[in-house]
Amino acid sequence: MFSKLAVKNVGRSFRDYGVYFLTVAFGVCLFYVFNALETQSVIRYLAQNPRSSTVEAIQRLIGILSVFVWVVLAFLILYASGFLVRRRARELGTYLMLGMERRQVALLLLAETAVTALAALAVGLALGVVLSQALSLFTAGLFAVPMTFFAFSVSLPALGKTAAAFAAIFLLVMLYHAFAISRRRLIDLLRARRMNQQLKVRSLGASVVLFLLGCALLVVAYAMLLTRGLLRVDDLFWVMIGLGSLGTLLFFRGLSGFLLRLCQTNKKLYYKNLNLFILRQFNASINTTYRSMTVICLLLLLAIGITATSVGLNNTVEQMAVEAQPQDVELIAWQDEEGGALDLPAILKEGGFDPDQWCVRWHAFPLYQDETGQPYLLQGDYDACVSAWGQAGADAFLDNWGAQLLPQAEEEMTVSRWYFLADYAGDPQGAEEAFLQAAGEIRGADGYQYSTRQAAWMDLMGTKVLVLFIGLYLGVVFLVASAAVLALQQLSQAADSAQRYRVLSQLGVSRRMRGRAVDIQVFLAFFLPLALALVHAVVGMTAANAVIAEVGKVDAAASSAVTALLLVAVYGGYFLATCWGSRRLLKGG
Amino acid sequence: MEQILNVEGLCRDYGKGAVTHAVDHVDFSVEKGEFVGIMGPSGSGKTTLLNCISTIDTPTAGHIWVEGRDITGLKQKELSRFRRERLGFVFQDCNLLDTLTAFENIALALTIRKTPPQKVESLVKETARLLEITDCLDKYPYQMSGGQQQRTAAARAIVTRPALILADEPTGALDSKAARLLLERFEAMNELCEATILMVTHDAFTASYCHRILFLRDGAVFAQLERGDQNRRDFFRRIIGVVSELGGDQSDVL
Repeated sequence: MFSKLAVKNVGRSFRDYGVYFLTVAFGVCLFYVFNALETQSVIRYLAQNPRSSTVEAIQRLIGILSVFVWVVLAFLILYASGFLVRRRARELGTYLMLGMERRQVALLLLAETAVTALAALAVGLALGVVLSQALSLFTAGLFAVPMTFFAFSVSLPALGKTAAAFAAIFLLVMLYHAFAISRRRLIDLLRARRMNQQLKVRSLGASVVLFLLGCALLVVAYAMLLTRGLLRVDDLFWVMIGLGSLGTLLFFRGLSGFLLRLCQTNKKLYYKNLNLFILRQFNASINTTYRSMTVICLLLLLAIGITATSVGLNNTVEQMAVEAQPQDVELIAWQDEEGGALDLPAILKEGGFDPDQWCVRWHAFPLYQDETGQPYLLQGDYDACVSAWGQAGADAFLDNWGAQLLPQAEEEMTVSRWYFLADYAGDPQGAEEAFLQAAGEIRGADGYQYSTRQAAWMDLMGTKVLVLFIGLYLGVVFLVASAAVLALQQLSQAADSAQRYRVLSQLGVSRRMRGRAVDIQVFLAFFLPLALALVHAVVGMTAANAVIAEVGKVDAAASSAVTALLLVAVYGGYFLATCWGSRRLLKGG
Repeated sequence: MEQILNVEGLCRDYGKGAVTHAVDHVDFSVEKGEFVGIMGPSGSGKTTLLNCISTIDTPTAGHIWVEGRDITGLKQKELSRFRRERLGFVFQDCNLLDTLTAFENIALALTIRKTPPQKVESLVKETARLLEITDCLDKYPYQMSGGQQQRTAAARAIVTRPALILADEPTGALDSKAARLLLERFEAMNELCEATILMVTHDAFTASYCHRILFLRDGAVFAQLERGDQNRRDFFRRIIGVVSELGGDQSDVL
């Protein structure tokens, strides 16, 4: 009879459970996608290269990061279930009043959450498999991976890991609520919907002091970050993070303490249209609001920081690839002590790689050396290089090998090694294959080595994928998580306020005016945390760029552009959807 | 006297096929400064009639004129404006906004009409004095008694000086003492501010504060009673008389 009631309750309060259901399904889906990275075509492409250990590194990193993602998702789900319990407090109170025992009510809630959670887990996993495939297609395009590496597949380890991780979260959530319900007073449960939250410390002065203290802590944390840099992870680093988080909390706590009072002193603002209603709505859930704003601000900071840094790093890596390998092919062969001149183009042609056929430009030449071992490049070969790859390309070669220019070969000098430099023509894939085959059959040299841009690119691509994929993924997870929390919060608040909007409608407030009131509330909830997060991010990025600058060139413009685009698309999208959803919820009145 | 409200041939049907005539060809009018009651047993169409007049519901047939303007043909936007500017409401469950203090609940009715901000406070305080709720202006609805809440709702209805105040069972959830206090305030509003009040009730005691009472039965006006110069006690007895004549269920009307 008990399980019957639980299942029936879930069906009846489907709309309440809908929010919880969606959050869990969304979390499961993201978690699976992250852990099933091995099924991604990009990763498969990298994994076929046995020399590279990138894939292992990526998977190790994912293992660590998924713990982090797990914590964020656990909070998200706890938060969503909190709404659920709050919205149903009255019903639960009625059960208590009818004489059910607290233990039974807690059990009932437990059973209900379990039913929903199981359904959400199944749906989330199914969605995750689909999304992971879609993502695979998308990234394959992004990284120019051949389509042969795309295959539909399900990662069993990831499935198991996701199920276990969420089972743990559900257990936590259930215990938390069973505990919370058994401690709430009956009168509070019955009245839960009609009570306005109040801050514990209500004096105006205290709020202002808290606000200023928060600002001061933030300034201290900023100063520490900028003087110490980002990468010194020691005790002081954690102190800095702690100061920053506490500063953010106090900032919002103080702000919410005096925002209403500040507006109340300005009668022209307060007594205009629905302003007093909007501010009171904001204030009614003040305790939840300032805490969630803090969490969202920090999540946004992570999202912005990670995205911008990874895009910046990625561009730096790409720059490095071009600098390290100016030509498509570089072949070096050492001449035998007694052997004659090595005609590399002829040898390659014999092996099946005809430079005239495969290459758009090429040049083969020797490098001389004197008794001291100082290498020399002949002026004629230098000129040939300049005509093929320009002044800069030729000079780069000189710099790279520490060679000096020489107008004519001198008596006592010997040829130390032969070079073959080339850029592929039309079909680089075919050319590379032909070259690799030919290069494997070189005879008559003391030794040789070669490097191709494609091989170097493959190596660097590992780094690039690592940085960009994980960075973007985490960025999106945090961005979506914060936007989803806000959307959930605003939508459930709208549902709670439906009665208030009905009253407003009866009093003759036009639909347009009501819609505007909703929009302003959603706007405040979305953009107050964003404003502070942007300030955080600017400071954080300054520190991060200092780190990147040590490795290579910082491309601040590109990383800001990508971050801004992502932010506008995801956060802006959620904002508009929330406005629309809230308006729809309230249109009924 | 100037006519504030004029109802002609008003019908409101529900359902298809077996149609229920909730309101069936009702005609009446209310003059400026009148305090009119509408009585009847449950299901007699009182609330439907009031909902039509308050533009929350749309009539099937007939016309309603308020201050000479036909409100049955108004569009959504004009209806909002009409409700905001010409009507005041008092509901059974008072419908105060629980996020706002009593003061702000009253002030809201002014701010949505774009009253100049500097006038808001004095108007609210003046109205609060009239309804004797000055003490609880800073409280939230859930911190006030039912009677105080209902008087706050009445203050919100009258603060804008509407042409017509509509009250739906305002004493329905109050005990007799709180009901008496509220009704005395209604009288004060009626006399001091010349407010025109149309009140729906099924309670004979509440109705005895009115100047004139319309009795509804099965959606039609069944009888009308004028108080004239009678005191309230005598008027109450006459109401009881009509109520018994109405038949219906005695326990339902008392």
